[in-house]
Amino acid sequence: MALIEVESMVKRFGGLMAVNDVSFVIDTREIVSMIGPNGAGKTTAFNCVTGLYPMTSGAVRFDGHIITGQPPHRITRLGIARTFQNIRLFSFMTALDNVMVGAHWWMSARVWDSVVKSPRARADEKRVEARARDLLEQLGLTRYAGSYARELPYGLQRRLEIARALATQPRVLLLDEPAAGLNPQEKKELMALISRLRDEGLTIFLIEHDMRVVMEISDRIVVLDHGVKITEGKPAEVRSNPQVIEAYLGQGAAERMVDA
Amino acid sequence: MPSLGLGRLLTRERVDPTARRPRGAGTSTFWIFSIGSATLLFMGWLLPWFVRPTSSGIGYSPMDVVSSAPTGIGTFLVYLLGIGMLVMVLSPFAELFYRARKRAVPERLDQVRVLIAVFGLVSTVVVFLLTRVIQEEQLFGPIDAFTITDSAVWLTMVGYILAATAYGLRGWVIRRPTTAFAALALPVGILLPLMFHQAPVFILWAAGSLGIYTLLALGLNVVVGFAGLLDLGYAAFFAIGAYTCGSLASPKHSIHLPLWVLIFLGAAVASMFGAVLGAPTLRLRGDYLAIVTLGFGEIIPDLATNNIGKLTGGPDGISSIDQPIVHLPFATINFGINKEWYYWSVLLVVIVVIVLLRNLEHSRVGRAWVALREDEVAAAATGINTTSTKLLAFAIGASVSGLAGAFYGSIVTIVSPDDFSFSVSVSILSIIVLGGIGNITGVIVGSFVLTFVIFWMLQYLNEWSATLGQTINVPSLGNIDYSQYTYMIYGVALILMMLLRPGGLIPSRARQIELTSGGEEESLAAVQGIA
Ligand SMILES: Nc1ncnc2c1ncn2[C@@H]1O[C@H](COP(=O)(O)OP(=O)(O)OP(=O)(O)O)[C@@H](O)[C@H]1O
Ligand SMILES: [Mg+2]
Repeated sequence: MALIEVESMVKRFGGLMAVNDVSFVIDTREIVSMIGPNGAGKTTAFNCVTGLYPMTSGAVRFDGHIITGQPPHRITRLGIARTFQNIRLFSFMTALDNVMVGAHWWMSARVWDSVVKSPRARADEKRVEARARDLLEQLGLTRYAGSYARELPYGLQRRLEIARALATQPRVLLLDEPAAGLNPQEKKELMALISRLRDEGLTIFLIEHDMRVVMEISDRIVVLDHGVKITEGKPAEVRSNPQVIEAYLGQGAAERMVDA
Repeated sequence: MPSLGLGRLLTRERVDPTARRPRGAGTSTFWIFSIGSATLLFMGWLLPWFVRPTSSGIGYSPMDVVSSAPTGIGTFLVYLLGIGMLVMVLSPFAELFYRARKRAVPERLDQVRVLIAVFGLVSTVVVFLLTRVIQEEQLFGPIDAFTITDSAVWLTMVGYILAATAYGLRGWVIRRPTTAFAALALPVGILLPLMFHQAPVFILWAAGSLGIYTLLALGLNVVVGFAGLLDLGYAAFFAIGAYTCGSLASPKHSIHLPLWVLIFLGAAVASMFGAVLGAPTLRLRGDYLAIVTLGFGEIIPDLATNNIGKLTGGPDGISSIDQPIVHLPFATINFGINKEWYYWSVLLVVIVVIVLLRNLEHSRVGRAWVALREDEVAAAATGINTTSTKLLAFAIGASVSGLAGAFYGSIVTIVSPDDFSFSVSVSILSIIVLGGIGNITGVIVGSFVLTFVIFWMLQYLNEWSATLGQTINVPSLGNIDYSQYTYMIYGVALILMMLLRPGGLIPSRARQIELTSGGEEESLAAVQGIA
């Protein structure tokens, strides 16, 4: 069943068509990767889906409903959570607080409860803290619960961002280059994590440059180049697609590879 | 390779990784105690300089005793007290000296200081009691002063208690800063009017300036400190609260609502204005928002001056504002006469506001504010409604200001547009910048220091200077009007602060690191390309 449907998405920055008439579908519990050379428009597509950028034209459906034009927080609350290519944690909040911010929108304490610290607010806080600690534990961050986000090593910051996204109780997780800057061991852990999340019912949509990661975990791959979707398919199909090789290695590369 | 020990330093940063919140406030509290003690002892010693006594003539400090004629057992004790005072005044420097050399403060030093403090405390009480049973002349010798003022005794006692706590229970103060602070500040705060019953002007100042400005600073701190929105027209909400009080509790419109209703009304009306102003402007980026609020801060007093709808009384404002008269079964309290009741009311409100704001700070709302301040885009992508969260900060900040305004109107009984000029907004902003943006303790300390200097000391500086001029034979010292230099003091203080302690006197720990490492800002609207 299609969970996210992107229909003729166009995003123009002045004269630059960053995303040009791109359509694709992501099914429930699928792991879909988006690949493409630098500047292909992958992050821009992400930003359009999550409402960070208003689209020039086109539509995004989530679970059958059009979400185009909704503000980012509304889209997150509908169930689309994301991480950022250039990690955007709340640097001077503790790891625990970062995750608890993710739970902000579904906490039940009203402002008044918070002001007077009512039993309801306390219970709510306790419940969410337990949940956040649980998430930290699942991502192996328990040791760092009390440290400022910026004090964490790079690889753990990436994980913390995932924990924060998970705290929003998403149905789809959008990961923008989650493996960037990770060492091989960390990459392996990341892939295991992604598979596990999918097994638990999450749909994953990720942008990734590391082909080994992409080929190994993806059910399907969408390839973008210069804002245009050049192909889409199973890893094996995409790997052997001459257009893809050309996009990555430049004009004529495919022929040369075939010649060789 | 020689080890610089850097690695160890860095790993030690993370003392207790699983702690709920990073620590750091504790040492600030220790310093408040340490420096506060020195200040109080010093003030107790030179009391008449700091607190103008009433004309009844009782206003002498230990200094007067010593300078008159040093005979008698009492004088000897007072001398010793003076030495104790000097030790306490100098000892923070000793502490700094050790720190500068990265050496631990020797335990012996603490022990000695506690000993002196306890001895000082006991001696103070003894001297005080002796003045009640023995003729002062026998105690001190022939002096002009007949009584050491109660205030001097109190200041000295509190000073020594602070010192004994800071140095004797350093661990406790650092571990439980809030408890330590409350345990000492609360009784002193409540008893202050009794300590200064000989100087009612001081109590009125404490309520009308210190209390009100503390409230204002606490409120603005929500907007600027917690949510990170620069508001340059905060005095407007103060004005709205004050005018609400003036209109509804004065002969002006022949309405006479009680004060306790008015503080809620003032808060409600101000927060409404806050929301009305905020709704269309909060999508703006920081600097634009600052300009809009600046405009708002100018418009409100102008509207009041123009007497719109004949509501505000024009440039003269509204006068004869009611002062509460409370009838109790055993007594009648007239706030206009017994000003200490204003003091206690304001103190109660300040405490309540502090408690409530602390609750908010450590709740989901406070977290959302910090998130917003740190990274608006990430906050939005994490499900936080940035607009309503900002609006909430704006409305809550405004409501505290409105509440302060209502109190202010009642205390001074007259409100006019001049009371709410841009300079008031600047003062409040200076207080929180100086004290430590985003840190409630810092804001309170900032308001103590700045209000004391600007609204108390500057008033008397002219007199002191004249006296000094006479004494050292430089009469021109008497011609300086120091109140002209208020803004120069702000300016110099702020510049020094930015250079020496950019996070404020008591910085919030996050801000401390942030300032040393820098950070970029980017609003959601800017990212979305709509601002
Ligand atoms: N806010 C913006 N304003 C103007 N141009 C932009 C903006 N964001 C992206 N672009 C441009 O759009 C194009 C696509 O950028 P995008 O960040 O989506 O690429 P990407 O596929 O994520 O690349 P990378 O692999 O390097 O992350 C680039 O040419 C970029 O310069
Ligand atoms: Mg990108």
